[in-house]
Amino acid sequence: MKDPYQVLGIPESAADEEVKRAYRDLARKYHPDNYHDNPLADLAQEKMKEINAAYEEINKRRGSGGQAGSSGGTAGGWQQYGGSSSSVLQQVRISIQMGDIARAEALLNNYSDHNAEWNFLRGAVCFRRGWMDEALRYYETACQMEPGNPEYRQTLERMRRGPSYRPWGNSGGTLCANPCLSMCCLYTVCCNGGWCFFI
Amino acid sequence: MFGYVIPPQDLPEEEMNRFRRAYCGLCHTLGRRYGPRAQMILNYDFTYLAILLSDPEEGERRRGRCVVHPRHGQEYLAPCAALELAADESVILAYWQLWDGVEDHGWLRGLKYRGGSAFLESACRKAAQVRPDFDRSTRCQLEQLAVLERENCPSMDRAADTFAVLLQGAARQIENPVRRRVLEQMLYHLGRWVYLVDAAEDLKKDAASANYNPISLRYGLPDGQWTSEAKQAFAATLDQSVYQMAAAFELWDFGVWTPILRETIYSGLFRVGKAVLDGTFRRRRNKGSSLPERETQERST
Repeated sequence: MKDPYQVLGIPESAADEEVKRAYRDLARKYHPDNYHDNPLADLAQEKMKEINAAYEEINKRRGSGGQAGSSGGTAGGWQQYGGSSSSVLQQVRISIQMGDIARAEALLNNYSDHNAEWNFLRGAVCFRRGWMDEALRYYETACQMEPGNPEYRQTLERMRRGPSYRPWGNSGGTLCANPCLSMCCLYTVCCNGGWCFFI
Repeated sequence: MFGYVIPPQDLPEEEMNRFRRAYCGLCHTLGRRYGPRAQMILNYDFTYLAILLSDPEEGERRRGRCVVHPRHGQEYLAPCAALELAADESVILAYWQLWDGVEDHGWLRGLKYRGGSAFLESACRKAAQVRPDFDRSTRCQLEQLAVLERENCPSMDRAADTFAVLLQGAARQIENPVRRRVLEQMLYHLGRWVYLVDAAEDLKKDAASANYNPISLRYGLPDGQWTSEAKQAFAATLDQSVYQMAAAFELWDFGVWTPILRETIYSGLFRVGKAVLDGTFRRRRNKGSSLPERETQERST
């Protein structure tokens, strides 16, 4: 096992309060919500397990009773709902969960009833692919077709909200970024890769 | 398509020097492998590619003179496997990008692209021998992009996907599977972001010349003028890619390169996106270092 202090990124002499803060920061960073439908969700889950184990180990050594949170939950939350309206769409859910996006897409393409769930799952496939604009649009359509469905609504809200871990503070986001760019010629006689004038 | 990733700002001098060493290191590696003419393709985007592909520790440093620093010389990163990979891939990217320009601009206007691609041709042939898979996938993705453009593809995600997959291919040779997956995800979204930002930058120009522009088709902006709703929706979709890059970035230890990458992902990309949407990006870029402080302050107040 890795050194638990190293995992939390703190020295062994850190005060209990510091340990707790480091743990909370990391737990927020790798929270399953930030990796929902992310192709790297399994890696985040592994990280989360490592952090939880490190925190528990430190607490055990120090004799304090700090408990780590849940070990990351289920990646993606697909099992939570799962009540599909058809066996094909259930298959799509399973494929997405297994990471077999090509199969999920093929199944969706052959399914003629474009109901709310179809749109929702199509959105999930797009999201996994990185087609963020289309993912958002399919999620929106699913919510419009079935406004009372909590799964669709939560997914859409989560996407619009963005990750809860925001080290960039309030200036994160294209529209609220500080527009000051200093394109200084630091290294060469030309500017910003200006050698490459023809590209 | 390149030139949108900018060097880190607001970092301690030590980090800026590190970035400079990577930049000069890539330049030296390009020169050594492909001759002085290939050094002309050097830009910040390729430097970031080199940094992403680098080991967590900074490699051996050397000091040497070059055309740009003839008198006192400059410290640079000695050629290593990561820099060589980045150099090979940069040559292939630059060459095919130029070739794409020839096709895009017709015979006469494509002359400068033709000239550029001709002088890179032998370098690219050599790079393609070392990295045949990357050469093949780059060509294939750019061909697909050309088809989508000809068909006036209305989906900006589909169009961006070609360039995103192309850049993602740059990480295919990484052996560690976790590292490869992290880099592939980061490069995919970097590619998507670059393609979309480039399309936003060209929005007006494309409207005037009636060229293909995925943003104009997606949001219905035939005159190349942003509406506030379109701008907001587009900024949100750019942010989504940055979030995905950030989420992936946190899953791998980039060692000494972490502060540079963090600054770029958590702030630099947002800033460039904002400048492009405000229509101030190229103007400032062309002004270079003479960007007056006062103007910036006035704009932000």
